[in-house]
Amino acid sequence: MASGEPSKYVTLVSGDGFEFVVLREATKVSPIISGMIDPRSGFAEARDARCVFQEISSPVLDKVVEYFHYWYQYRDNDDVPDMDIPVEICLELLAAADYLGLDQATMNTRQWS
Amino acid sequence: MARPRRNQSASGSNDNDGQNQTVNGNDGSNGARNSRPTRNITGPQSALTDFLASHNISARQIRDDADRRRQAVAQQNSSETNGTSNANDDPTPAPLPPARVARRQSTRDEGEQETPEKLAQKEKALAKIKASKAFKKRKKDADEESDFDDDEIARAIFNERHAPLPGQMENCEICDKRFTVTPYSVQGPNGGLLCAPCGRQIAKERQGEKPKKKAPRRQTAGIGSRRAAQSRLLDGSVGTLSLATLCVQTLAKNVELAESLGDLPEHLVDKIARIFSKRRLLSPDTLPLFLQPSTQTIHIYDGAKLGEQELISIFQIAPGLKHFKARCVVQFKDEVMDYVLSRDTSMESFYLHGANLLSEDKLHEFLRAQGSYLRNLQIYYTDKHVGDETIGVVREHCPNLKRLKIEHNQKMTDKGVKALANVTCLEHLGLHLDNSPSSPAIRKAVSGSGPNLKTLSLSIVPNADDSVLDAIHMTCRSLSKLRITESHLMTDDGFAALFTGWQNPPLTFIDLEKCRYVSAMQPRQNDDLVGLCSNGFKALMAHSGPRLRYLNVHACRNISREAFEEVFDGDSTYPELRRLKISFCEEVTDYLLSCIVRSCPNIKEVNVFGCMKVRDVRVPRGIILVGVPNAQGMITEGKH
Repeated sequence: MASGEPSKYVTLVSGDGFEFVVLREATKVSPIISGMIDPRSGFAEARDARCVFQEISSPVLDKVVEYFHYWYQYRDNDDVPDMDIPVEICLELLAAADYLGLDQATMNTRQWS
Repeated sequence: MARPRRNQSASGSNDNDGQNQTVNGNDGSNGARNSRPTRNITGPQSALTDFLASHNISARQIRDDADRRRQAVAQQNSSETNGTSNANDDPTPAPLPPARVARRQSTRDEGEQETPEKLAQKEKALAKIKASKAFKKRKKDADEESDFDDDEIARAIFNERHAPLPGQMENCEICDKRFTVTPYSVQGPNGGLLCAPCGRQIAKERQGEKPKKKAPRRQTAGIGSRRAAQSRLLDGSVGTLSLATLCVQTLAKNVELAESLGDLPEHLVDKIARIFSKRRLLSPDTLPLFLQPSTQTIHIYDGAKLGEQELISIFQIAPGLKHFKARCVVQFKDEVMDYVLSRDTSMESFYLHGANLLSEDKLHEFLRAQGSYLRNLQIYYTDKHVGDETIGVVREHCPNLKRLKIEHNQKMTDKGVKALANVTCLEHLGLHLDNSPSSPAIRKAVSGSGPNLKTLSLSIVPNADDSVLDAIHMTCRSLSKLRITESHLMTDDGFAALFTGWQNPPLTFIDLEKCRYVSAMQPRQNDDLVGLCSNGFKALMAHSGPRLRYLNVHACRNISREAFEEVFDGDSTYPELRRLKISFCEEVTDYLLSCIVRSCPNIKEVNVFGCMKVRDVRVPRGIILVGVPNAQGMITEGKH
């Protein structure tokens, strides 16, 4: 992330118009979103720090955002409780997760000395 | 007094302290016997109690009377001397008779008229309580919640301290019924104790008001959590699971609610199929989830619950099936194959695992009829059904075959392996035969399709020697995956020669598991350098290192520490290496692992089972180290 980045937050908008403000760091788990808001990309999304997902409904995006924070909270832990997924939106959420590239087993990047 | 009194035979015979205790322990049972016919289960009781009980004399009654007399005397004394023996500041009520007397007195007093002396005495006790630590603490808590009167708090503490001990009888504060006090008896609104039914009701009401305590900590670790953590480690998942995985797991838990998977992409359907099979959920009921008329690919990872009819239904529903993969399908019998033959299918991939009831003739019939479409043919665990003749049929009728895998096969012999030389179109060849093939047969097979081969997998070939390596060196030019396991004849020189000056581009996958020297007589001496040793390993890494993604040198125990350290010296990097299996290599140390981490920037998983020199290694986050030989397991270090 460039050092001169103004906002620590990005706004995700669902198809039915709900807006979710999320910590930018937490969205890094999704390669799609981090690609969209990468300042070097020059996309409109990166300029406004605002991504609109027409295909994703608000309950699903709500859960996705919850996952972002879940991931962000536990990213340095090994022993992690599983997040609860409501059964009703399971399949929609699965499709959304696939769309956002959230299907790698571990998306941990790492540094070592 | 609310106690029923039957025996008036009060005697001072139980002054003995020990006797007193025993009698006390049986209070509850005696009381219960008085009120209802059923006997409680009680602890041992003294012979005297037994005897008295048989004469319908209650030991408890005797003691109660004695207590009362003693207490009357004590009260007299205290009122004379203004002593405060009753208002004992001891936070735990002493189980001595005088204290108990006072307690009973006080609870009884609640409902009775209080004499002036008693009141004065109680006032004193309350004053003392107000000065105590417990009071201050309670007051502090109370102040936070609501404004309680000081007196009220003091009174509550007073009552609490003087509540009857478990095992004693008491009258319920609400319904006035007699009951046995237990450690779980609930306190009533006025400080007295409640019987079980009233207590439950009160507890329910209180819970409705507000939770007394904080909600219990959410349990992340519990019974079996360590095992579960290790299991996840072996599955390669540490830390947060991906959202897709979480969804698939939820789906698997609620499979009965799902009607159709909709139009999910193929890789997700495959992922679901895998998890379903892992949990043994694939049954005749769930199979339709994966079947649509347009389905071209079906992967059944565990078809043990599917019957003949379900297997037939796959081909009925999806006539355009191109890729069929079914593991553990015992019911794939001749009848199913008959149905397949009756349909106009054109399968490109046919993968059958564990179908040992399918006869060889039917399989040949299938190959003759539809072999021309086949590109991949994989047959596992067929007992004695796929043999040398099958290779002949394949050669004749499958001109487009690219991938042939025959594994766990008991029938095929050297003759069939040699016949493979005539199937020149193959690009991927995998053999795992129980009649382990000889070197000449393998040489012949390799020489036939050698130049095109991309995959060569020879599992458990104890009889293969250096000449096989030589044949590979001479003929293979486009190999990317090589597996030779459990050869007991190949030598270090052979491996070194294979990887030195080989015109094949670097490999991406090498598995030389258990190519090692085994001797019961002289286990430590390997003078002839049998198996993959230092030179072979160095040559391997020099040849394939830049492209290698997967390396398995499991149990190649003669690779020296110097060779490892030379290969992973930090200067040469192996950017593609993801998984490294160096289990049972004796010379792997903590230092070497840190070298590996430095040399392989993309390494994800290292297996070090049985590397006893690995002791206290800190693993950078993101790398999975499996099989650390201590109870603690992998210790991760660092952050993102």
